Amino acid sequence: MGLIDDLDRFREVGENRRQDLADFITYGDLGGSRQDSVRIPIKIVDLPEFTYDQRDKGGVGQGDGETPDVGQPVGQPEPDDGDEEEGEPGEEGGDHEYYEMDPEEFAEELDEELGLDLDPKGKKVIEETEGDFTDITRTGPTSTLDFERLFKEGLKRKLGMDFDEEYVRAVLKIDGWGPQRAFEWARTEENIPVSLPWLQEAYEDIPASERTIYRNRAEMEAAVDREDPRVRIRRDGVDQIPFRREDERYRYPEIVKEREKNVVVVNIRDVSGSMRKQKRELVERTFTPLDWYLQGKYDNAEFVYIAHDAEAWEVERDDFFGIRSGGGTRISTAYELAAERLEEEYPFSEWNRYVFAAGDSENSSNDTEEAVIPLMEEISANLHAYVETQPSGNAINATHAEEVERHFRDAEDVAVTYVSSPEDVTDAIYEVLSTEQS
Amino acid sequence: MSDDTEFPNRRESEPDIRGSNAETERDEAKTGWATADVEMQWEADRLEEPVSEAGALAEKLGLDAYPVNYWIVNYDEMNELIAYGGFQKRYPHWRWGMTYDRQQKQGQFLGGKAFEIVNNDNPAHAFLQVSNSLADQKAVITHVEAHSDFFANNQWFGMFSDDPNAASLLSRHADAIESYMQDPEIDRGDVERWIDHILCLEDNIDQYEAYRPVSPANTEREGEVGDIEDQLDELDLSEEVKSQVFDEDWLQAREEDEEHMTVPEEPDTDVLGFLCKYGKQYDEDTERAVDLEDWQADVLEILRREAYYFAPQKMTKVLNEGWASYWESLMMAGENFADADEFITYADHMSQVLGSGGLNPYSLGLQLWQYVENTENRRHVVEHLLRVDGITWRNFHDTVDFEHVVSMLEPADLVAEVDPDSLTEVPESDPRIDSEGLAAARAGEINLEKYPWKLLTEEGLAERHYSLVKPENRGYLSRISMEELERISRYLFETDRYASVEEAIAAVDYTVGWTRMREVRESHNDVTFLDEFLTQEFVDEHDYFTYEYVQSAEEYRVTSVDYKDVKKKLMLQFTNFGKPTITVSDGNYRNRNELLLEHQYNGVALDLGEARDTLERIFELWGRPVALRTIQKEYDEHHIEVARRRDREPEAEEKGLEIRYDGMEFEEVDLSWDAVEHLAATDIDYDTKPDEWLA
Repeated sequence: MGLIDDLDRFREVGENRRQDLADFITYGDLGGSRQDSVRIPIKIVDLPEFTYDQRDKGGVGQGDGETPDVGQPVGQPEPDDGDEEEGEPGEEGGDHEYYEMDPEEFAEELDEELGLDLDPKGKKVIEETEGDFTDITRTGPTSTLDFERLFKEGLKRKLGMDFDEEYVRAVLKIDGWGPQRAFEWARTEENIPVSLPWLQEAYEDIPASERTIYRNRAEMEAAVDREDPRVRIRRDGVDQIPFRREDERYRYPEIVKEREKNVVVVNIRDVSGSMRKQKRELVERTFTPLDWYLQGKYDNAEFVYIAHDAEAWEVERDDFFGIRSGGGTRISTAYELAAERLEEEYPFSEWNRYVFAAGDSENSSNDTEEAVIPLMEEISANLHAYVETQPSGNAINATHAEEVERHFRDAEDVAVTYVSSPEDVTDAIYEVLSTEQS
Repeated sequence: MSDDTEFPNRRESEPDIRGSNAETERDEAKTGWATADVEMQWEADRLEEPVSEAGALAEKLGLDAYPVNYWIVNYDEMNELIAYGGFQKRYPHWRWGMTYDRQQKQGQFLGGKAFEIVNNDNPAHAFLQVSNSLADQKAVITHVEAHSDFFANNQWFGMFSDDPNAASLLSRHADAIESYMQDPEIDRGDVERWIDHILCLEDNIDQYEAYRPVSPANTEREGEVGDIEDQLDELDLSEEVKSQVFDEDWLQAREEDEEHMTVPEEPDTDVLGFLCKYGKQYDEDTERAVDLEDWQADVLEILRREAYYFAPQKMTKVLNEGWASYWESLMMAGENFADADEFITYADHMSQVLGSGGLNPYSLGLQLWQYVENTENRRHVVEHLLRVDGITWRNFHDTVDFEHVVSMLEPADLVAEVDPDSLTEVPESDPRIDSEGLAAARAGEINLEKYPWKLLTEEGLAERHYSLVKPENRGYLSRISMEELERISRYLFETDRYASVEEAIAAVDYTVGWTRMREVRESHNDVTFLDEFLTQEFVDEHDYFTYEYVQSAEEYRVTSVDYKDVKKKLMLQFTNFGKPTITVSDGNYRNRNELLLEHQYNGVALDLGEARDTLERIFELWGRPVALRTIQKEYDEHHIEVARRRDREPEAEEKGLEIRYDGMEFEEVDLSWDAVEHLAATDIDYDTKPDEWLA
């Protein structure tokens, strides 16, 4: 037992063995992500306890340099994190249940992770706009931290501090050379960042018999190969990068005239009675990263959220993943609405279009073949995708995904993917994104 | 699992920092350490001086801390410590895994941060992460010294134990629970679930009482009946009386009463303790409640003990964090503990910690401590001024030249500008001068360039850092209200009159602020601290306000900037860990050994969803049906609509409610007002909405 074990047990919470806790899991604040930052979700399990009704409780805030007026609206209070963990004194105040990340960074991470590099093609509009986050400052919001630079500087520092230990040990084995002599050699002749205590210690570790192996320096140099730390690090990797605050840089946008790339993402979700909680969560887990990714890839991203059962209607993002209605399912209604919305506001000549739908593959009879597929062909888009979420494998009459897949087998702009558990999400995202890339 | 909970590559600096003069003997000390990792050793080496100097400075400043053992740990070890709430070993549970997961993700996505961990223990243990910058390390060290002083001196910490020995306590707990989990007779999942149930009631203890162990009542009871027989024997009654009055039936009845004696005399907030004593488990096979297994009773008591151990930290968060931030800032910025090139990083670190959004205990606490210092200093100065002939509370503002007074209060050059080159002129007998320090400095043994404070006593340092002359506080004196002036003058004895303002100011004692602060840190907790020191002046200075959810507008709005309201809301947030007060009312409810809990309603309603979920867990710990009585607020749709049209707030209707859970399903019954009236507090009102908003 130990922390690794605790971590394993934590991952199992809500899964088979600990279904009883499934209701107490939240995934950070997926629903409330703002447009300009992505919150990296982390799983939180909040055991129930006697608490006050949040709304009835009210609270205390602090004005930013001035006292606000009575009656002035204030934003949604942060969840009460007064007693995180054991209330350990000294932990950084205000732990939060999510990490904010710039969508661009997220897209980069995902590219790296999945080996993708989706290059946004498409429509460009000349406009005056906020440009890339290319200017840098030493302070700024965390979401604009140039992590890559921080990493590189850390790596440089690591390289600066690193040296070929074997080679330096060999130097100590030259007859007549002690640590002092070796230190002078390292510092004056070689610029090797080794310290005197290190040399003294290394020297002590060398058995007396080996301290005179080489008669002189030339002999040693002939016998021992030197290895550049870079080569070693490339081979063995780095275990730890020394991050320093002075290396932190934050990016802020410069205002430039530039070509803008627009994207509109239509998210469609089946909200009918058969879409139970687990399926809904799987949709959220798949769609949210896709949205972030595209948001990170394009300069201007807009989203349309369509919910449907036997009818379709447009909803706000905040409601999208939570809604549940009764009734049957007619997927084509959603595509009709999507076509209408895209036609009105997002001409394909100016917008990159992505149409993602998700559901459990149940559809009313013949609707897929007679209505959905023709609509999908009709709606021009960079990519169409259908994500089937079936936690327990396929239901008998759930054939929408298969029908779509069969029909569009050779098409390059239609992806169909299946998600039956959270582990499948990454594959599904890969499947969807790599379809466009190819 | 071995008993050794130490890290393989720990570095311990001198166990008792204060006693060592590490400056001169660093190299020797170093050879005493195991040398697993050069980097660790360098770090330990580099920090030895800051550690010992911070300890010495803290002592000079009048702090009286537990000795602190510092450990250098790497990034992974730090994450582990954070996950375990600051300790090296805890019982196996997924909650630590959760924190660990978060910690790792934070590192992965946001890069490392300087964390500081210090444990309430004697000696205290503090951990420093090897990759932190020197400025961060120093900030952590000074912060830690002040925390340790707080642990050692605050009475709420003393309540658990004067000698907590926490690490070994928690480690023993870990071993016990681990052994249950490994016991082939016990299902590990059962233990884990049992822990979950108990954790739901973590805050339902009586944190105002010292921890006392409780064991299941069934063993105790046998003893008690025996006692009665003994007592009867002692009464030396005749056999006749005995058989007539105290016969077997009487004893039997008495025993049965004991069985039902589960009604606490007073409503008891120690729900966990009550469950320890009378809790059972529900046996599905026999469909009845049976006694707890030994391991269940033991785990229950262990977690209750941990809840009591951690309670003082939760009760003094504002006070303790503010205290540490205050002294950290004084040592780092005020005494140049941060070197010039480190200072920017330090300031950056400080602003990050203090400015991290929402209501931050660090910043609220720091501001309040500074306020305590300023107002105490002010009170003292004003007392002196009011004794000057011709100055009364009525003419105070018109008569006193505040700028002149403040300039007279400026610290003397002797303490403000320590000049290592003119030591001969320093008067040895001045109470502000540390004569040993002076002798050492004259002998060239200490570096006054770097550590000017070594020349001074606490009195000298107090003058050097006198709060009222700092740029941001120069207005304090003139800002004093007439009410306060009158109050001060009312309690003033007419002795010690001064002929002039100059004479009065010369008699000012610069240490009163710190002395007062030390008194406050001994006796207060967050609630009493806020209650005593939060004033309108403070609220105005720092722009605090209250907000409420406005039903008609369906959003949160600012409701008040009056300190009484701000105080009310803060009290709500800090009283009883910010949680509603739940008491055990009856352990024999409905005469069927059901458990009745009551919510002591203070005008703020319970979250009913959470309450139901919690009741389900309590059922597992009680083994029989459980019920909760509370008062709910209901808003009539029609009233809301009417109120909205008038731009007013609807008034809620308060109704009694009982929720009962029998292991299978919930039953909710509306109660008459009579049945819950005793739960409603009439003397407090946490609502801060302006009266004119109400419909």
